[in-house]
Amino acid sequence: MAENAIIAVNEVSKAFTRPVLKKVSLSVDTPQSLFVCGINGAGKSTFLKLLAGLLQPDSGSVFIKGKCLRKETEYVKSKLGIIMHQSMVYPDLTVLENLDFFARLYGVPGRQERIRLLLEQVGLTAFRYDKASVLSRGLLQRLSIARAMVHEPEVMFADEPFTGLDMTSTDYLTAMLSDFRSRGGTVIMTTHDVSQGLRCADRVVVIDQGGIILDRGISQIDPSRFANDYVQYARESA
Amino acid sequence: MNYFLQSLKSVFVKDVLIELRSRQVLPTMIVQGMLIVWVLRIASEAVSSAVTVVGPVALWIAFIFSGLLAQERSFAAEHDEGCINGLIVAPIDEGTIYLAKLLVNVVMLSVYELVLTPIVMLAFKLTLSGNIGLFILVLMLGNIGISSVGTLFSAVVQLTRTRGSLLSILVLAILAPMMVPATFALLILFNVIPPELAGTGALAFVGTLKTAISYMAVFDIVFVTACWLLFGFVVKE
Repeated sequence: MAENAIIAVNEVSKAFTRPVLKKVSLSVDTPQSLFVCGINGAGKSTFLKLLAGLLQPDSGSVFIKGKCLRKETEYVKSKLGIIMHQSMVYPDLTVLENLDFFARLYGVPGRQERIRLLLEQVGLTAFRYDKASVLSRGLLQRLSIARAMVHEPEVMFADEPFTGLDMTSTDYLTAMLSDFRSRGGTVIMTTHDVSQGLRCADRVVVIDQGGIILDRGISQIDPSRFANDYVQYARESA
Repeated sequence: MNYFLQSLKSVFVKDVLIELRSRQVLPTMIVQGMLIVWVLRIASEAVSSAVTVVGPVALWIAFIFSGLLAQERSFAAEHDEGCINGLIVAPIDEGTIYLAKLLVNVVMLSVYELVLTPIVMLAFKLTLSGNIGLFILVLMLGNIGISSVGTLFSAVVQLTRTRGSLLSILVLAILAPMMVPATFALLILFNVIPPELAGTGALAFVGTLKTAISYMAVFDIVFVTACWLLFGFVVKE
């Protein structure tokens, strides 16, 4: 594994009542957008949670920007952002209060200005004094994106971010992730919407039965065959 | 240190603001406490000499069960929209989250104690014979003990389906060793056990007021430290 890789996963294993991930290794050396797919229960969400530090691996290690997640946790976490299908914002706080809370947690310098810019970026300026509980699913996901980006992370994990979004919100989220990627960020995303995942990705990883069975650049796969049955495609390509 | 204090303050202020907005916990605690006190007051009427004995006991029963309500809610709110994940991925030590939540629960229980204690004293005709400072100290030590264990296990039970009922079982079992000296301390302070009899005869195992307070202080130190250290493991798995 390259020591200076943006993300280096070394033989990570995780079991709950059964093994979910078995000695999985992965390296992301340059800023890119990685689409992780797999059938239900394949282990993709567990994989993402291990990378984000939400779960501890049973064995193996995760390095982000050359620093071990387990040993230099606070430094590594300051470089990460995470979006999930749950918004991870507080329904009883306003849009502004939610962002201010997370900006304080991350010790963001000049946080008022940063929040103002973010609100403009995600189109929530008009809703800044509204409680999160009154926002629609699409607006809530925009707030979730703003929350994840408030500290200007370098790596973004997105676990099923398109779940429950309409077309407009999906396009908005896709544009935000593309913009993040174009500014040198790295995105690792899981979604069941394969065509949407392929649209956003530079690289595709298929997880099946606890291991990576395909790891290719987007230009190296046949998108239509892949979208039709990616597990079958991955097994045939292996 | 500055960053630790800033994170602690952020989580604390956020939780207090949410409670002030939603008013979910404190009113429920007070209603439940009044109900407990009323039922025990009625029951103690049967034996008029038991009124002053039941009073301090009613106080602790109300504190424990209403405290459980606040503690259960403190992490339930974090799990509603997956907010706990937002806290865990932030670059703060998990122990800081625990300490902030503990502080919120201690403050909530203190407000509750301020409301309920005069009511219990009136209802059970209790007169404080000892030092009011010692009385506040005993209540505060009990409050910290109840909150320290409750805050940790509130995070644990959110991962289970039984939640509230499991929280009661776990917390009550662990609090039992502290509740013995806590109860005797109040019985001594309200002169139900005369100070000269404390630590003698059948009550020798409880010791004096000083011993009871020492037991409570040791319990608090041990459990706040242990829960603070264990919290990271609890929320990550």
